[in-house]
Amino acid sequence: MGPLIVYDIISQNTNLLLAFFIGIGFGFVLEQAGFSSSRKLAGMFYGYDTTVLKVFFTAAIVGMLGLLFFSLFGWMDLEMVYVNPTYLTSAITGGVIMGAGFIMGGFCPGTSFCAAVIGKVDAFVFIGGLFLGVFIFTEGYPLWENLYYARFMGAPLINDVIGMSRGMFGLLLILAALGMFWVGEWAERTFARDIN
Amino acid sequence: MNARVLLAIVIVPMGLIIAMVPENTTNPHKVSAEQLLGEMAGGAQFISPDEIAQMVIEKNPSLQLIDVRSEEEFDTYSLPGAVNVPLADILSREWRDILDQDLKINVFYSNGSVGAGQAWMITRQLGYRNNYVLQGGLNYWMEAIINPTPPSALSPDEEFARYDFRKAAGAALGGGTLEARQADTESLPPPSLPAIRPRERTPVVQGGC
Repeated sequence: MGPLIVYDIISQNTNLLLAFFIGIGFGFVLEQAGFSSSRKLAGMFYGYDTTVLKVFFTAAIVGMLGLLFFSLFGWMDLEMVYVNPTYLTSAITGGVIMGAGFIMGGFCPGTSFCAAVIGKVDAFVFIGGLFLGVFIFTEGYPLWENLYYARFMGAPLINDVIGMSRGMFGLLLILAALGMFWVGEWAERTFARDIN
Repeated sequence: MNARVLLAIVIVPMGLIIAMVPENTTNPHKVSAEQLLGEMAGGAQFISPDEIAQMVIEKNPSLQLIDVRSEEEFDTYSLPGAVNVPLADILSREWRDILDQDLKINVFYSNGSVGAGQAWMITRQLGYRNNYVLQGGLNYWMEAIINPTPPSALSPDEEFARYDFRKAAGAALGGGTLEARQADTESLPPPSLPAIRPRERTPVVQGGC
């Protein structure tokens, strides 16, 4: 038993092929949930539509519970799960840039491709901007290399940092998520607008 | 019923359960026989006496020498800063925190390399990382570090450089008496921070929204 897929068992190419199919499924679900509409996505920031918050937090807490229970039953070794390393400065900077782009463009990278597939012109413009951003980042890399690697923290888990058990933190996160959903639905009623 | 209420009814009890049960700390990932054979053949578990000597002299805090010989042999002679984990007791609970950790470089040694190699195989089978074997054991250590043989006159410069290093290291580490060892163990294990050996990177598929 170990993680779901061990790199030694399947090749990198098989792994990418699996990712391709999972990606198509992900895109299908995004589109089906209405995430290819930039009005719906931008609604998150104006308060009239909080579907984004609800979908992603539901996914996060369901996934979290799944992992914790799988680990409890010994079906999965959480030690083997890859945790993205944290570079605090670039995480914050990147978050701000991504957030600003999200409000202005009405998409995040995944949903922009989703919307492009169903032929939305604004999504093509967004993807153009995305590639422009990638180009500027790569060509100007020496300028922000220091910023990019600043304040490296390893791969900490929040519950370890605040000294809480995994399960307790999970419960608090669930309660926080439900609280946010409640606030979100209140906001939807208060700032309602007709987006169609 | 409101979807939010339904979600809460299902998920809050599950959260409560997971908050109350203890974490599963067993480590179900085991190394398979094929993997172990591959690693053994690769020989990445061996660290040369020169590397060890260098680390001992620098008092590198990430080095932990582990003597897998019997207690009497350990008392007669041991390397500076080593702890004694006799091979027969290696599975005892007492040593687990030393053997299963992410910070230090554990180096097993025995007289030859058989005992240390066995210790390495057992810990590897348990899924522990950062354990290594002193190449050639103490016998080769004596031969290479404590009493190095000078290279022949026609040897390349590196041979002479290595000989000089070994000679100096041997002089610094030569004593190995009981008193010297005790003095060293008192000063050696400082707070354990850096783990210097870079771990091999596995390519990772990254994703996101």
